[in-house]
Amino acid sequence: MLIHYFKSAWRNFVRNRIFSAINVVGLAVGISAALVIFLIVCYEFGYDTFEKGAGSIYRVVLDAKINGMDGHSAGVPAPLGDAIQREITGIALVVPVMQFQGDATATVSVTRKGNDEPVVFKREPDIIFTNSQYFSLLPYQWIVGSAKTSLQNPFSVVITARIAHKYFPQLPVTAVIGRQINYNHDITATVTGVVKDINRQTSFTANEFLSYTTISQTDLQDDFMMNVWDDWMAYSQLYVKLNKGTSSQLAEAWINTLYEKYNKKTDNKIITFRLQPLHDVHFEYAYTGVGQRIADKSALYKLVALTVFLLLLGCINFINLTTARASQRAKEIGIKKILGSSKQHIIFQFMSETFFITLVATILSVILTPLWLRIFRAFIPPGLHFDLLHQPDVILFLLLLSVTVSFLSGIYPAFILSAYKPVLVLKNQFVKTGHTRSSAVRKILTVSQFTIAQFFIIVTLTVIKQINYSLHADMGFNENAIINFDIPYDTVASHRQLLLTEIRSLPGVSRAVTGFLPPADPGMAFANISYNNGKERLTPPTQIRWGNPGYINMYQIKILAGRNVLPSDTIREFLINQSFAHAIGFVRPEEAIGKYLQWNGKDVPIVGVMKDFHDLSMRSKISPTVFGAADGNTFHIELQRGDADKAFWENTIVAIKKDYQKIYPREDFSYQFLDDAIASMYTNEQRTAGLLKWATALAILISCLGLAGLVVFTTNLRTKEISIRKILGASAIEIISLLSKDFMALVGLAFIIAMPVAWMVMHQWLQNFAYHTALSWWIFIISGLAMMLVALVILGIRAGKAALANPVETLRRE
Amino acid sequence: MQNNMIKISNLEKIYRTEEVETIALNKMNMEVKEGEFVAVMGPSGCGKSTLLNILGLLDDPNGGSFLFNGEEIAHYNERQRANLRKRTIGFVFQSFNLIDELTVFENVELPLIYTGVKASERKERVEAALDKMQIMHRRNHYPQQLSGGQQQRVAVARAVVNQPKLILADEPTGNLDSSNGNEVMALLTDLNDAGTTIVMVTHSEHDAKYAHRIIRMLDGQTVTESILREQL
Repeated sequence: MLIHYFKSAWRNFVRNRIFSAINVVGLAVGISAALVIFLIVCYEFGYDTFEKGAGSIYRVVLDAKINGMDGHSAGVPAPLGDAIQREITGIALVVPVMQFQGDATATVSVTRKGNDEPVVFKREPDIIFTNSQYFSLLPYQWIVGSAKTSLQNPFSVVITARIAHKYFPQLPVTAVIGRQINYNHDITATVTGVVKDINRQTSFTANEFLSYTTISQTDLQDDFMMNVWDDWMAYSQLYVKLNKGTSSQLAEAWINTLYEKYNKKTDNKIITFRLQPLHDVHFEYAYTGVGQRIADKSALYKLVALTVFLLLLGCINFINLTTARASQRAKEIGIKKILGSSKQHIIFQFMSETFFITLVATILSVILTPLWLRIFRAFIPPGLHFDLLHQPDVILFLLLLSVTVSFLSGIYPAFILSAYKPVLVLKNQFVKTGHTRSSAVRKILTVSQFTIAQFFIIVTLTVIKQINYSLHADMGFNENAIINFDIPYDTVASHRQLLLTEIRSLPGVSRAVTGFLPPADPGMAFANISYNNGKERLTPPTQIRWGNPGYINMYQIKILAGRNVLPSDTIREFLINQSFAHAIGFVRPEEAIGKYLQWNGKDVPIVGVMKDFHDLSMRSKISPTVFGAADGNTFHIELQRGDADKAFWENTIVAIKKDYQKIYPREDFSYQFLDDAIASMYTNEQRTAGLLKWATALAILISCLGLAGLVVFTTNLRTKEISIRKILGASAIEIISLLSKDFMALVGLAFIIAMPVAWMVMHQWLQNFAYHTALSWWIFIISGLAMMLVALVILGIRAGKAALANPVETLRRE
Repeated sequence: MQNNMIKISNLEKIYRTEEVETIALNKMNMEVKEGEFVAVMGPSGCGKSTLLNILGLLDDPNGGSFLFNGEEIAHYNERQRANLRKRTIGFVFQSFNLIDELTVFENVELPLIYTGVKASERKERVEAALDKMQIMHRRNHYPQQLSGGQQQRVAVARAVVNQPKLILADEPTGNLDSSNGNEVMALLTDLNDAGTTIVMVTHSEHDAKYAHRIIRMLDGQTVTESILREQL
């Protein structure tokens, strides 16, 4: 029986190539999207699931409230770990994880043979300082050495097999013991152990483990602020594993009490510690460690929603085309029923046909998946791979998905088809064109389909409009033709001035200053600055910038009142922006001039007021901001403009690099154009827009395929009618409009439904931006017209063909 | 004396639409004995096809009694009718009603599938039926590839493959030329000789002469009955 069903499914599939193709393509798009999203979701949710007792592992994170501003950090004060170890029982493991400062990488040099020049590896990531308990937290397998002994002594390092092979390719893994590795031309450690790499998804990405005791033997003791209780760095993280029976609330309370013992609370600085469960470490943005990759759960859910929509569109096509064509199969069903087939047989037959089509679509989508992985590239985690034969869970997922999709698309048509009464079939009385219930369902489904497509169009246009707005809105300062780069921390102060003078003398450079961050930067630099107005002390959350006074001119920041700061190597005067002036109670800028601000224990006068400029992306409101004169390690260089072409700029940058490396021969020179840096603040939105463009195109494609199928079908049914009308004198245009108007009404209705929904969603979305574009009426008009136009083209092609056919031919055939 | 296979009394069938009520069968009475070959004749719209549909358990009457092998089945629900139908009744239609997507073999095999016959036995029986209808050489062809006479022979093969007690034929020669038509009538006569009861609706006086008895209908009722030859 089953073979019989599949045989008949196959023949139907081949016989109705166009409809089969529409169904398969529609479903395949949805299924392959679902497959990719499944891979992504599985990958992301598979993070840190392999640790033994993962449920009792936590990262200690910090919440701070400073001057009314909330802050969160993955880092904790460095002495906390030792204190917990010493003073709290009930915690099984206390594991500090410390990274090198800067970008958490180090320059590694190894001597491979005797007195050879050391081999240098720059910017090596994933190096940490930790204690031996780390290896109880994670199930490492030891190749040489042991968890107990290898990290006991200072200047010891344990590495993974991959690193051993990278640093010492000529040696067998077991022979690297005793070899020396130098970090940052500063610390030399001896290899005391090698572990196998853990090739699983984990936030514990380190593969070089320096002994924790090394810190106290070196300058790192101060750099890492090992004795500082009231400050912390993101580089200093702390993991704990609780004893059985210790609840996280209890442990949290212990830790907070312990902290108070060493650091008294003050009114304007409240610090609390929280135990972040291990399975949240990969997902909570607020506590991102340095160099840590975080997955955005809400983005994952949105991807899932997107897929569900695409799948639904495919199912709708299937339902529409199948029910529309049902009458063509009425005879077959009638005969089968006369010959003794039950309703269940017929339902089962159609369900197996649906399953067959879904299966073909699934196979096609597996083939399409690599393409999808490219399209979704920006959302694909770097370690994700697709290898069907070695991923049984993926096969199981595809099977379940196929069954579900078959059920969703097949069940309704199956019931419609199986309900045909054989006697009506024999009398040729089954409804061919009439307004049956299933044709009403078809209309509803078509409208839903186009509503989804229409919604996507509006959303995509709005997102693109907002990105354009963010990128091209006036930031309040000049962002063009400016490059920024940092110089390394350097004890020789004259180096900076020397480099600046060299750069200023280059012909392609119009201005150059040193200082701190550029006016707008994704990072935040808050300073504790207050103003006493006689009644109260006001401490607005304030961003600070500094640089040579030329900074103000170069960035074309307008001074509304007062004057620019005078040159100085440390901050002696402040410029404030309008928002700061308002925050401390001044309406007119002039009023603030000459007033004193308290900063770092000094009274600093306000000498001028700057016009507001954006210090963060358009998502955030402009912060109260101050500017002072001081040197800094960031160079701000304005390149010559006017006839400037790219090659000319490139030559200038090469010259700058040459000057830089004369002074810092061991450092890499890396720079960024400021406008690129600003654009990169919207990477997320641009990724979303990229994805939405694809989703929209696919939604339109699937919906239009379905529409095309329906048009082909109705046109075929009405061939005779069209011929008679033509003989009676109808023009081609009249025929086309006759065939199209019902469909166009559906598309129009979809627009009416999609518009308010899209308006609400996008209105909400735009609220994420403190400064946003208007939700203009023309977006809706254009979206609607675009959808109509596409639908009209689809309709026109088929209807036009019918309208132009020779009526005599058609009637003769009838 | 043979038993009645079919006995209908005061059978009524009324079609209603919003505006009109059409009486297709008006308190019709009729008997068919086991092994009999009955031709039903009458002008278009006299209720022949409605009668055949009810006899074939494809449609239910609005009133009256329908005894099939002595059992009242007028009240049967769809499932019961389908069950009885697939075991006891074979159909031959004017327009053959073969399924275009299935081969000759598969078309004939279909009734056996629905009665749950095992695959090996199905093959045997289908081949026997095709052999008998001399259409075996076309077993892997599709209906569209056959002539009208060949298609009707396939349809007859399909009707008899389940060895039904009753064959209902609705203008079986209507779409055939006279030589093919005669061939099909000869096949039906052979089946009848072998014991199968046949009720045939026809417009053709020529075909009707193959039957034992002719029932003439008008306006949903039997008007005359004429016996042509005695049933053996």
